[in-house]
Amino acid sequence: MGKRLLLASSVAAILAFSASAEAKTVIKMMHQGDPGWVAAYGDLAKRFEAENPDVDIELIYAPHDAYNEKFSAAVMAKQLPDIMELDAPFLANYVWSGYLAPIKDVIDADVLSDMTESNIAQGTYAIDKQLYAIGLTDSSVVLYGNRKYLEKIGARIPKSVDDAWTREEFEANLEKLSKVEGVKWPIDTFRGYGIKTEWITYAYSPILQSAGCDLIDRKSWKSEGMLDSQPCVDAMTMMQNWVNKGWVVPQSSGTNQFYAEGHPAALALGGHWFYAEAAAAMKDDVVVMPLPKFGAKGASPDGTWIWGITTASKHPDIAGKFVSFMLKDKAYRDYAKSQSAYPGLKSFAAESPLYAPGGALAVAFEQASKTAVPRPPHPAYPAITAAYMQAVDKIFNKGDVKQALSDAAQKIDEDIADNDGYPPFNGEQ
Amino acid sequence: MSDTALASAPLAQPAKVPAIRRKRFNAYRAIQAASMLIIALVIVSPLFLLAVASLKDDRFQILADMGTFRAFWVSNPTLANFAEVAHFSGELAFGRYLLNSLIILFATVVGGLVVNSMAGFVLAWGSLRGRAVILALVIALYVIPQESIIMPLVIMVSRAGITDGFAVQIVPWIASPLYTFLFYQFFAQLPKDLFEAAEMDGASVFRVYRSIFLPLSLPALATVSILMGIEAWNQYLWPILVTQTDYARPISVAIATFFGQDSIFWDRAMAASVLMMLPILAFYLAFQRWFVSSFVGSAIKG
Amino acid sequence: MSMSSAGAAATAAQRPAPRKGARRDRIRLFQEMGMLAPAVILMTVFLIAPFILSFWTAMTNQPLVPRPTPVRFVGLANFIRIFNDPLFWTALWNVTRFTIWIIPVQCGLAFLTALLLHQKIPFRNLFRGLFFLPAITSMVVVCVIWATLFQYPTGPFNQILGFLSFGMIQPIDWLGDPNWAMFSIVLLSAWQAYGFQMIIYLAGLQGISEELYDAARIDGANALQRFWNVTMPGLRPTHVFVLVITTIQAFKLYTQVAILTQGGPKNSTETVVHYMVRIGYEEQKLGYASAVSVILFLIVLVIALLQRFLLRRYDV
Repeated sequence: MGKRLLLASSVAAILAFSASAEAKTVIKMMHQGDPGWVAAYGDLAKRFEAENPDVDIELIYAPHDAYNEKFSAAVMAKQLPDIMELDAPFLANYVWSGYLAPIKDVIDADVLSDMTESNIAQGTYAIDKQLYAIGLTDSSVVLYGNRKYLEKIGARIPKSVDDAWTREEFEANLEKLSKVEGVKWPIDTFRGYGIKTEWITYAYSPILQSAGCDLIDRKSWKSEGMLDSQPCVDAMTMMQNWVNKGWVVPQSSGTNQFYAEGHPAALALGGHWFYAEAAAAMKDDVVVMPLPKFGAKGASPDGTWIWGITTASKHPDIAGKFVSFMLKDKAYRDYAKSQSAYPGLKSFAAESPLYAPGGALAVAFEQASKTAVPRPPHPAYPAITAAYMQAVDKIFNKGDVKQALSDAAQKIDEDIADNDGYPPFNGEQ
Repeated sequence: MSDTALASAPLAQPAKVPAIRRKRFNAYRAIQAASMLIIALVIVSPLFLLAVASLKDDRFQILADMGTFRAFWVSNPTLANFAEVAHFSGELAFGRYLLNSLIILFATVVGGLVVNSMAGFVLAWGSLRGRAVILALVIALYVIPQESIIMPLVIMVSRAGITDGFAVQIVPWIASPLYTFLFYQFFAQLPKDLFEAAEMDGASVFRVYRSIFLPLSLPALATVSILMGIEAWNQYLWPILVTQTDYARPISVAIATFFGQDSIFWDRAMAASVLMMLPILAFYLAFQRWFVSSFVGSAIKG
Repeated sequence: MSMSSAGAAATAAQRPAPRKGARRDRIRLFQEMGMLAPAVILMTVFLIAPFILSFWTAMTNQPLVPRPTPVRFVGLANFIRIFNDPLFWTALWNVTRFTIWIIPVQCGLAFLTALLLHQKIPFRNLFRGLFFLPAITSMVVVCVIWATLFQYPTGPFNQILGFLSFGMIQPIDWLGDPNWAMFSIVLLSAWQAYGFQMIIYLAGLQGISEELYDAARIDGANALQRFWNVTMPGLRPTHVFVLVITTIQAFKLYTQVAILTQGGPKNSTETVVHYMVRIGYEEQKLGYASAVSVILFLIVLVIALLQRFLLRRYDV
């Protein structure tokens, strides 16, 4: 009897507690990030709750390496949050699958008009041209150089995107650097990140686009005839040659060869975030240059982790309010700045001396408006990137280039066929 | 069999045996201890790298040192990283994640010991028909990799409404084919006389299990406790998938924050990894004392 | 009564149940079922049920997360596609290779350390702690450490090799050379996991009666003879258990590969579970991935049962 009474009263207590909690609107936000970001989101939620006492922000953290699994689990358990952080190239897949809602109407107008072109591009769905996600930040890849080595070979140091090295210039410089004393490898392309990381598609596919081809034809959405076309085969053969000549830091040599003792790598094809690491060790000896032009035009990657509102949200307006609040929040921006975040909002760019004209990463920011090409905004993207990664691994290990690329193209087209062409991407309405 | 012959040989003059042993005691022991120390050093040396890195203050320095012998050396050690980890900036205090992990560990181990040892006992000594089939099935179940059932399992627990708490992190992993198999193996090795003698005295099956077989199974209980404890301690993907809030999050997930997307906080990640090893090491040391020598034999003789 | 004859007597199926009245038998049966029930119920719910679900999923084109396209029954199409994918066969060959290598290395190391720790030596508890440290280190940290040790060309392993061979041996790209990568994974895995088998061996060694050793000594057996005639026969069931468990674990190889080599270079470390996860999570083809897991289950089941069958006479 006593036990039963205790049980009954505790059930009553729980019910009473949940009733009081239900009086507030709960907005759930799923995110990743290191301890600094986790703390920043926590503080942000508290500030928002202070201003909006009727809202309760619930943060759902998932580590970076398990984020996709967490997302899938949330979908299947019907526990999608209101707001979710997502990697931009996967946006088309999520929208097509029906998980994301358009956000234009729920985000503050001043935030929307503040977005850079590249930020709009990464958040837009190709079919209805609507905005589905927004971020404070964006990203890019640049060519880092060791000033001492570059001076030794007398290389020209480009000042802006417009006078980026050409392919001939770049390969000639690699050749020269390979003979400089102290240089073990002319370039680090960060193979150390691994062979199954988004880095490969993110950082290497602009080389294809600059060379005049792509991962997939963005009109017909067919990969065969594009990824295995001659320009792509040439471009990947070029990269294979760098590897075969021993010019590229091998995969198992880590990601620190640019600034490790003795500075064994002379150049580094690295993300904007790499600057902090390199500058910490090498100070002014780090030169930031635009990505080389491998064909008629330059190309650079963009896209990062941005915020979308899910179709599961019962309060998209409040979710939108929180996202707007976040993007304008000063402390949040300050933390982003301290992480040398790449600006995705114009006002944030103005506050970021690192990316302003004259700043160390000014060239990186210039690329966003001049050469940035988003990764293929197609729901087959998960299959596209997986196939390309595999091809790159084969090619870098002396595999047949043409064969590797056509295998990848075939895999991509097979995935599209498996999904009936991802209508309406196949032209059907 | 030769050992049967040996066993049945008369135990003549048992008093002399220790005397013979004592003579070679010192030199032999010294060589033994020295060689043990060398083997231990070789085995443990990779972990110096972890300990050393956790004492370095600069994460970029840790990165720059990696891949050379400098990774094994720290010039000005500091405990700053440990202090920073203790001031962890998640939703909960770092100590709370530790407590969550301990709760999950103990509940899983206690439940696992009871459930798996009972099953193993029945499979070894029960009178149920088809025990051999069940045993084969149990081994078969161990073949299933966690990766292949985790998604269906997520759907199941969410449909059942048991998400976000301790129960969902404990209950699914209590019954384990591996440890049922291990208990079976151990119980089946115990002599038949034990079982029959007890049954003659009119003890029920459960009583035989509880009062006679379990007390004789300290090594098996210790083994399973330790192995299950490590498994529970290092659970990673499952808690991420089934917990929504921080309330019941284990320490393994909390530590994952240090391994970020663009920037890995090597200094704190290393310190946190060291911290995470300490409780499970204490747990192991506590249980390995149960490996006491040869009580089985004396129990039968006595 | 000696251990081995007792063990042989315990061969459960042949042991006649004592006849003491039907009522008593019934009570006993109920008690046994009651003791078995928790494990059976929990395993049914949390292992068998989800696995049966994946049998069904394997016959469909179900994506990882629901999509606007309909889920279709595709019969054995997934299985046919798997058997036609050379990568699957590569993965299967790789885990077979891994298993063949890891069993002697890991079990040998475990057996050796267990034998050492079983002796009465000074600071035994300290050594037991030290020897077990790798097993309690999380795999992520183990991989970080070993990536440093393996680093090419200036990592500690390469420097030691260079030093010992007076520079004759060129640096080895342990994780980056298709010929070396799986071997490197074997080394790392054995180091990380031998503690698991070690404590099973330790428990097994405890089960051998001290009287057997005493009797052997009296018969004039030296240490080596005692090892061959007492320790080894006494550990026979443990050896079989460890062999079966290690084989199954080896076939499930995933975490190290996912963190360190992701199946590369040139698919030389692709494993069946890694292949399955790659297809299931990255390419989001849950149906196809489920079919892989069904095939893996059947293959390993056959091997495990075959092992038990072949080693039956050594088993308890």
